[in-house]
Amino acid sequence: MLRAVLRDMRAHPGRMAMTLVAIVLGVGFVVATWVVSDSAAETVSSGSSRSDVAVQVTGEELTPETVSELRALPGVTKAQGVAFGYSALVGKDGKISGYSFPDMGGTAWDSSERFSLVSGRAPATDKEVALEEASASDAGVGVGESARLLNGDGSSRDATVVGIYTYRRLSVDESTPVAAFDPATAKQTLGEKYSWIELTGTDATAIAKAIAGLGLDAKTGVELKADRERAATSEAEFARNFLLAFAGVALLAGMFVIANTFTMLVAQRSRHFALLRAVGARRGQVRRAIIAEAAVLGLIGSTIGAALGVGLGWLAMTLIRTTGETIVFAVSPLAILIGYLVGVVVTVVAAYGSARRGSAIAPVAALRADASLPRRSIVLRTVAGAIFITGGVAAVIATSGTPLSKMERAVGMGGALIAWLGVLFLAPLLASAFLKPLSKVARSATSRLAVRNAIRDPLRTAATASALMIGLALVTSFATVSSSVEEVMTKTVKNDLPAQTLAVQPVQAWFDLPEAVIERVKGMSPKDSVATPVQGGVRVTLPGHELRGQTWTAVEPAAIGTVLTPPIKEGRWDLKGGFAVSTELADEFGLKVGTQLTLHFEEAAPITAPVTGIYPDSYVMRGVVLNKELLPAGLKGYPLGVFVKGGDQSKLTAALADRPDVVVRDRDGLIAAQTEPIRLALGIISALLGAAVVIAVFGVVNTLALSVLERTREIGVFRAVGATRKLVRSSVRWESIVIASYGGVLGIGVGVLLGAVMQHVILTQPIFSLTVPWLLVGGALAGMVVVGVVAALWPARRAARTDVLAAIATA
Amino acid sequence: MTRGAAARAVELTKIYGQGEARVTALAGVTVSFHAGELTAIMGPSGSGKSTLMHCVAGLDTASSGKSWIGDTELSALSDDALTILRRDRVGFVFQAFNLLPTLTAIENIVLPLDLAGRKPDPAHADAIIDAIGLRDRLHHRPGQLSGGQQQRVACARALITKPDVIFADEPTGALDSRSSAELLSLLRRSVDELRQTVVMVTHDPAAAAYADRVLFLADGQIVGELLKPDADSILDRMRDLEHRAVTV
Ligand SMILES: Nc1ncnc2c1ncn2[C@@H]1O[C@H](COP(=O)(O)OP(=O)(O)OP(=O)(O)O)[C@@H](O)[C@H]1O
Ligand SMILES: [Mg+2]
Repeated sequence: MLRAVLRDMRAHPGRMAMTLVAIVLGVGFVVATWVVSDSAAETVSSGSSRSDVAVQVTGEELTPETVSELRALPGVTKAQGVAFGYSALVGKDGKISGYSFPDMGGTAWDSSERFSLVSGRAPATDKEVALEEASASDAGVGVGESARLLNGDGSSRDATVVGIYTYRRLSVDESTPVAAFDPATAKQTLGEKYSWIELTGTDATAIAKAIAGLGLDAKTGVELKADRERAATSEAEFARNFLLAFAGVALLAGMFVIANTFTMLVAQRSRHFALLRAVGARRGQVRRAIIAEAAVLGLIGSTIGAALGVGLGWLAMTLIRTTGETIVFAVSPLAILIGYLVGVVVTVVAAYGSARRGSAIAPVAALRADASLPRRSIVLRTVAGAIFITGGVAAVIATSGTPLSKMERAVGMGGALIAWLGVLFLAPLLASAFLKPLSKVARSATSRLAVRNAIRDPLRTAATASALMIGLALVTSFATVSSSVEEVMTKTVKNDLPAQTLAVQPVQAWFDLPEAVIERVKGMSPKDSVATPVQGGVRVTLPGHELRGQTWTAVEPAAIGTVLTPPIKEGRWDLKGGFAVSTELADEFGLKVGTQLTLHFEEAAPITAPVTGIYPDSYVMRGVVLNKELLPAGLKGYPLGVFVKGGDQSKLTAALADRPDVVVRDRDGLIAAQTEPIRLALGIISALLGAAVVIAVFGVVNTLALSVLERTREIGVFRAVGATRKLVRSSVRWESIVIASYGGVLGIGVGVLLGAVMQHVILTQPIFSLTVPWLLVGGALAGMVVVGVVAALWPARRAARTDVLAAIATA
Repeated sequence: MTRGAAARAVELTKIYGQGEARVTALAGVTVSFHAGELTAIMGPSGSGKSTLMHCVAGLDTASSGKSWIGDTELSALSDDALTILRRDRVGFVFQAFNLLPTLTAIENIVLPLDLAGRKPDPAHADAIIDAIGLRDRLHHRPGQLSGGQQQRVACARALITKPDVIFADEPTGALDSRSSAELLSLLRRSVDELRQTVVMVTHDPAAAAYADRVLFLADGQIVGELLKPDADSILDRMRDLEHRAVTV
């Protein structure tokens, strides 16, 4: 029995090929995910991390004296202070690269395992420097070339690059320095305060114990290593779960493809199964045979998929090697095992339905010329779909108000997902409902035939389109959220700033904005045309109420309405008369215009004033806004930027040409800088969802190829009565386009609605205040037409090659 | 011969396979099918009837020799040109599975015109639909029609383009006697009333009796002809042929 089935498989390798593709891609994704996360964790905790430190000492005041003190401790053979200071590498574009953390960007070269030279040598004079590998390549400088380094005071200097190193971290929270100077230069530029001191010695525990007595903190190398490993594992776990979610989506799409293929394969061999039944095979035997076939296919697919996954993992590890570490490539048996498990289980589960139907065929069917399986009913699906959609939509409507509690958010999102599931159930019904009218509109014989063929088996078309729909719906929904967020951000920035206002900001949001820059810009601009909002945290109280830690924003009152134009919802902008608070804060604590608030700045007298205004979403303002003059002396806060009204961008840029750490942005530039990370995230998510779409495209190829095989005789008749090969090709192509577009329209429709709910839940905006990502929608629809054309290439050629005589010969 | 030939062949040879497996399906057949006549081709199984028809109809290419539809010589034509010739100037009725299952009866009937991007001549279409007697079934799918009805729809499709010649390979092979009779009288009427030319392969002497002329084929060669035949004379001749085949 099993042998009969396996022989049948071997006889038709082509039929299995596309199913195999779906399994291979899905399994490959899962295994690659595992390999990447394992390798990342292994890399961090492997030999490439440091083993030369017995104890790391940290504390408030670590000076050369501390170092000599520690060196004198019993058991200590060596003590090395590690100094850090401001240093940033200026790239080819004249700005600091985005990967660095300038405050800890420079360090002193030493012979410890911190540095591992990739090329060149250690720096020896004040004219020389060694650079970290990734930063150097980002800035485009190599050994022998000159590099420009920015100092903490805003000055910069040129040095010859003599070495390129990769950096090894000792503790978890250590940042990677971009530049290492020779010790003498370091002493000058970075000072003689150490961030920590590294001790070498034999008995780490004893040393650590001795240090605890000195009022310093000590951690042994073993403890540090354990910390690093723990951090690496949890990071890897997080990355793994993130990636597995996408692998899951790909597998889901794969399941549709596999299930659909098996349905077709079983249908085509129904006479074969009937014959087996007629000669005495029991139902269970037939069913088991089909499942065995699925399992064998799953095994083959998993084997190839695991190999692919290992390859992909290796590729990914090589590509993401930006930190300069030496990559350890780890393939655990677990990764491979899970690959096999997923491949076999997914295939068997997907094939189970068709196995049951195949075994249910009546033995007499073998005697009939048109042996076929009974048509699957879509009544059950339709009812389930209707219930799911109704329930899901009801949940969304029930939570469509604003504001939203956590529970309401969960219910709304859950409702949207359930409704989506409902659409998947209804897909066959929708296929006939949408495509039937289309077949009436279709003018030419080929396009009409194509549409008719597409709705001939709505379940098949729906399954094929659903695989496409899954990936597309997710991409579209994320794009909808991202464009809605972008829209909100754009609107907020435009509300806050008039078009003539320029912003001088740090190159990266986490950089500091130097005081010198602020002063210079102020000096260049007329009075009252400059605003420097700064932010921080403070304890806020109102009579009988503690608002705990809240954000404050301090700004010049005169700048509001001119340099900055933040909107107001209640009251007015009157910072001389009191505070302004955000709508969220007002809603949460029931603040009204007139409510007295007290700000308790540390080491300063409390400031009490009434709320004079409540402002809606703002880019500049956060929390409680107060008059900058009220800030306690010495409290600087974090500047968001210097805003200048009516300045000339190119003049200002030229005036700040010597500052690689700041940029001058106009309003549009500011918006672009704000929205860029969102686009980047969307790009990554879309790329990861791409695997699901690719699998689905193979599903379309598969459906078409098997359909063409099934219709050999029809195609023969079509050819005999006068259809040229070109017409045959175009009819298959049209069918493919119809299926792909159906998947596209369904996926995009569902995606936009899903995105509407997501942005509602995330941004607490009304559901229909979404921003439809038209560009993506248009692109995706056009893409589906392309998918249709490409997927039809091979099946259409096969169809066109159909031998008329063989097809019409009465067998 | 007073009437012209709707289709003809000269020294048509068709050889399948090579070496051991070499089969001569047609061994130099010269034949012509007169316009406005119903010609039946008979012969033992494997005698080359279908092969002859396929080669003359442009469905297959002969190994040597020439054939014509009207005055178009086929061997010079490309696949596309042959396809268009079939679409416009040849009609087909096969033994079964003639129709596209997704198209309704009427859509199947007008398919050749549709493929050519032409509209049917209403009077002609009306006449054909009347002739097949399925006016109330025009919007049914083939799956909803009986085998006999399907064959009549196929016949209508063959007639719709007013072709030079209609080829029917055992069109009644899968039908019961009543449906057979209906189909045969339909073919007969297309010749008599619509002035069509029909070439029909059949095993059934009763079917051949509807023809104006019967050609007998054996071992890839024309071995006889009967004009204005009746079932009995056909049967006699068939027995003759089979007897000869056995003694050879
Ligand atoms: N594609 C092919 N390859 C090889 N040989 C073939 C092929 N088609 C037909 N033949 C052979 O050519 C000969 C003639 O076949 P053909 O189908 O024309 O016979 P027929 O008279 O139509 O028979 P039947 O009455 O059974 O339909 C037979 O011997 C057959 O085996
Ligand atoms: Mg034959």
